[in-house]
Amino acid sequence: MSVSKAHLFFGQQKRQQQMKKLIFILFVLFLASCKKEVFNPDLTMEFSIQSTTNGAKYDIKIALPQNFSPETEKYAAIYVLDGEENFDFVAENCKKISSDFSISNVLVVSIGYGNDRAIDYTPVKGGGGAVEGGGGAEKFMLFIKNELIPGMENEYGADSSRINRTILGHSFGGLCGAYAFTNYNKVFGNYILLSPSLWYADEIVFKFEQEHRNINKNNHQLVFLGMGEMENSGQMLAPFVAFFQQLQNNYPDIIITSHLEPHLNHRGSENPNIIEGLKFYFQNR
Amino acid sequence: MKTIVYLSIFFSFLTLSASAQNIDSEIARKSIPVRRITIEPAIGLEPMSDLIISNLVQLNIKKRLSIVSYTSYSYNNAMQRDFSYIKTNYNYTLSQKFGVGTSLYTKHSSHTFSLMSGIRYDAYKETLENPDFEKVSASVSSLSPDLGLLYNLKIGKKKYFFSYRMYIPLYPYPIISSDIWSLNDNLVNLSLEFGLGIRLK
Repeated sequence: MSVSKAHLFFGQQKRQQQMKKLIFILFVLFLASCKKEVFNPDLTMEFSIQSTTNGAKYDIKIALPQNFSPETEKYAAIYVLDGEENFDFVAENCKKISSDFSISNVLVVSIGYGNDRAIDYTPVKGGGGAVEGGGGAEKFMLFIKNELIPGMENEYGADSSRINRTILGHSFGGLCGAYAFTNYNKVFGNYILLSPSLWYADEIVFKFEQEHRNINKNNHQLVFLGMGEMENSGQMLAPFVAFFQQLQNNYPDIIITSHLEPHLNHRGSENPNIIEGLKFYFQNR
Repeated sequence: MKTIVYLSIFFSFLTLSASAQNIDSEIARKSIPVRRITIEPAIGLEPMSDLIISNLVQLNIKKRLSIVSYTSYSYNNAMQRDFSYIKTNYNYTLSQKFGVGTSLYTKHSSHTFSLMSGIRYDAYKETLENPDFEKVSASVSSLSPDLGLLYNLKIGKKKYFFSYRMYIPLYPYPIISSDIWSLNDNLVNLSLEFGLGIRLK
């Protein structure tokens, strides 16, 4: 091998090694950026409740406001479904948004999975979609109403008025929130319903809404309905718009808004819509 | 975690391809299927049962540098147009992207990796036709940027060759949401396409 060829060969080898190093560094940097944000552990309480209503064990996490003082203050509470996935994001953004609006923060109560979400969040069995629901929403709501909420009021200074309770859910969680609106309207005054699966069981929630309309229609309530603009799977948009119209036209004391998150799909729109829903809640509560 | 796995595979593949190219470089130099202009119509699928008809035109400016044009029409949600009293009136996506790519060659195939950008137009309309409730229709039409990585495999040395491509969308991540889980949603739009390539020059 001549000197010039050897020089070229070793030069190429060096460049290849540098390229591999660069790819490796970029990959490591990418992995480092994938860290999920975690809410301040000093302001987080965790415990479990074994439900006497449905027998399931629920992991509960609570994000406390700064200067938490349950002896002297009462706090509004946001009950978060799919809590194991959403707790940190909701808690962090509640803190930020309440601070931006100079409004006192709330308790964020995360409800973990005691049963499969397709059981706890669906109002009737079946459903017609890819995931068959178990129809456990009634028992789940009774667990929240009779076991979780009293505990929150006794131990953590949660306000006992309906208007200071909010339920937040996405997808089947949004369906469960809509079911809470129709069948447990005395429990919650505020609803953040994100990409709700309103198609479930031939739009069963619409039927519940009609059945309970006379009881619920004069209650004051805040409702945020959000979904992704690109949820074009053929089952989300039409019932979303229909539900919005049904509530807006029949509830004189409702403050309601709907929001389509641009360019985003079912999962991608979840967090941006959580932010929009919390902003709506803190602005109008 | 799914996202990390996908991207790990992608980066590993890039690295391996680079290594493989070095090993095969001597063979490739002798007989590489470098084409000046190719046109590659294909059909494909997205995981959410969307059917795609697309066309790719690739112009190799140099051996390792190419310009790519990609046009597609997607018939969305093909398998479930009527569901739970909800009728899909129409649901489609049009996309036009341009990109710059680099190619790696082996004896009978070439791998092209391109960074693509362009626009996409999505339109869909649904009607709730449950006899128990009021009939309600709703529609969305949206123009959005389209950014992604395109991998294109060509197998065959003659005028006609087999073409496979995979498009990994990068928009809206990380532009709208800084949350890593949004990428999962993006990968729902990952498309796999198979077709026939024709060398024009």
